[in-house]
Amino acid sequence: MSTSTLSARCTDALVQEFQFLQQNSAEPISKFLDYITYGYMIDNVILLITGTLHERDTHDLLDKCHPLGFFDTMPALCVATTVQELYNTVMVDSPLAGYFRECLSAEDLNELNIEIIRNTLYKAYLEDFNRYCETLGDPTASVMGEVLKFEADRRTVNITINSFGTELSKEERAKLYPRLGNMYPEAQTKLARVDDMDQVKAVLEQYSEYRMMLAGVNLNASSGGAGGNDLSLEDRFFAREVQLNKESFEQQFHYGVFYSWLRLKEQEIRNIVWIAECISQQQKDKVGNYTAIY
Amino acid sequence: MSQNTGKGRTLIAAIGDEDTITGLLLAGIGDIDAHQRANFMVVTSKTTQEQIEETFTSFTQRKDIAIILINQHIAEYIRGILDEYSAAFPTVLEIPSKDHPYDPSKDSVLKRVQLLFGE
Amino acid sequence: MAAVRDNVFPTRMNLTVTKMRLKGAQTGHSLLKRKSEALTTRFRAIVRKIEEAKLKMGKVLQTASFSLAEVAYIAGDISYQVRESAKRASFTVAAKQENVSGVFLPAFERAGDAQGSGFELTGLGRGGQQIQKARAVYVKAVETLVELASLQTAFVILDEVIKLTNRRVNAIEYVIIPRIENTIAYINSELDEQDREEFYRLKMIQSKKKARAADATGDRAELQAIQDGELHGAGRNLLAEQVDDDIIF
Repeated sequence: MSTSTLSARCTDALVQEFQFLQQNSAEPISKFLDYITYGYMIDNVILLITGTLHERDTHDLLDKCHPLGFFDTMPALCVATTVQELYNTVMVDSPLAGYFRECLSAEDLNELNIEIIRNTLYKAYLEDFNRYCETLGDPTASVMGEVLKFEADRRTVNITINSFGTELSKEERAKLYPRLGNMYPEAQTKLARVDDMDQVKAVLEQYSEYRMMLAGVNLNASSGGAGGNDLSLEDRFFAREVQLNKESFEQQFHYGVFYSWLRLKEQEIRNIVWIAECISQQQKDKVGNYTAIY
Repeated sequence: MSQNTGKGRTLIAAIGDEDTITGLLLAGIGDIDAHQRANFMVVTSKTTQEQIEETFTSFTQRKDIAIILINQHIAEYIRGILDEYSAAFPTVLEIPSKDHPYDPSKDSVLKRVQLLFGE
Repeated sequence: MAAVRDNVFPTRMNLTVTKMRLKGAQTGHSLLKRKSEALTTRFRAIVRKIEEAKLKMGKVLQTASFSLAEVAYIAGDISYQVRESAKRASFTVAAKQENVSGVFLPAFERAGDAQGSGFELTGLGRGGQQIQKARAVYVKAVETLVELASLQTAFVILDEVIKLTNRRVNAIEYVIIPRIENTIAYINSELDEQDREEFYRLKMIQSKKKARAADATGDRAELQAIQDGELHGAGRNLLAEQVDDDIIF
């Protein structure tokens, strides 16, 4: 038994539960659940675009798509053989049409790096999701706002850090930042200009919650030294996410629980896979390096 | 012997499971030439032995490949060919994979080493 | 096998030439033997290194695949993306040659820089650092593999060359040298035979001359006696000489 089977089964179970929820829901909760799946759809569509760009048979890719991001018309996307066709089909058939229309043209698909497309879409999605949550009113709006803001901040920081030393220019970097979050807009403008980790740190210092996170994180350790035992920034982000999602359970009468439930489940699967990986690769001393939920 | 040198052979080819290939590609060995031939092959449970054999043979015949990396558990499928393969170029190297730790007793080359020293 | 020899005309000249050849063969033999020994030493060193390297490789790749697991933990499954972004190899090798006792052993060296492999933006939104880290680990792992591959190529080539050299050494020792020795023996015996023939011929001429001198003095009886005596004497001598070695043809 391999770890990939384990993770596939866990995901299946999660998907089933989620779909059960979806089928038994009515407006506005069903709409909310739909929004959750859009994130996965972005990944799937990106996967198909990658396949089409390299002239692969996209039907094989359907298996690789995340089942949560599966939409009815997705197989239709496989018919497309050129990027232009694909773009048109996406516009017509997928729920993501809005995001595509907002930020991309067919030419962009061909020219831009696939990761930039992904992040642009994700940014549009986060903003839209946030807007939708606001229409739902309190307490959903406040709980979800908190979680989404964090998600946006995390992306901002990650994009900043990961774009060091790449061909991504600073203007492009700024364009990828989601237009929400605790750091929007002043810190983002600053982040758009930084060149190294220390500067990132300096910017983040201004926010109390991130200052705590950064304390004890050796920012440079995460990029060097294989399998260091130091917690990386990503680990801290995960921990923070788990904490926020747990907090959302403490509130009542809101939809954020569904989102949090899904996120925590995902984290759980990751943890299980991690432990399984450690066992199968005989790295028992690292078993503890996951982000505990409880 | 000396005329058969490794000049002009610059690529590392790989046949392996998904994780191994991903890692090797991350390191930057991946190459797709003008004829759309890739120098790597992902073996899944759906891959047949014939496909592996075919790919391996085509790799050995290419003039630009210096090293062929192959997961040991995959090498087992085509052990017969590997044992017979004795050319110096390209070199075939058996590597362990994530789920299958390295077993020196199965390695074609090490088997020859042991044969030579009568161990 | 003892009778195998080169087909040469038994002359003194050829004897000298053949003796030179024997000397040449013996020198060649000792040289080749030394080469084979040098190669074998090298070979054993390489074998030991291969065994070490193979074990090291096991560990290195384990760390590497583990770092990939770390990536999977944070960034999810990136394999398809990575596979599709492969275009031109950024990690290539160059063959370099090393000369060991006249054998060219190739050694692979890493060529090409690892930068700009097109994976920089992978995991931009999530897990980019882990991916870069895994990449670095894998680059190191592949370097180990390249090193091992050089050793292995050297192993295969050396194996071949040693076999070849040993074959030559044995051929010289068991075929060429005995053959040359046989030839020398043959020429020697032929020359001896010629010497004896020559000696007999001279004796004959001497006796004839004596007979002719006696004839001139007119004593027929004395002549007869000389002739008989010489002949019988020569006959006895010949028989006595046959105690020598058999003549080998």
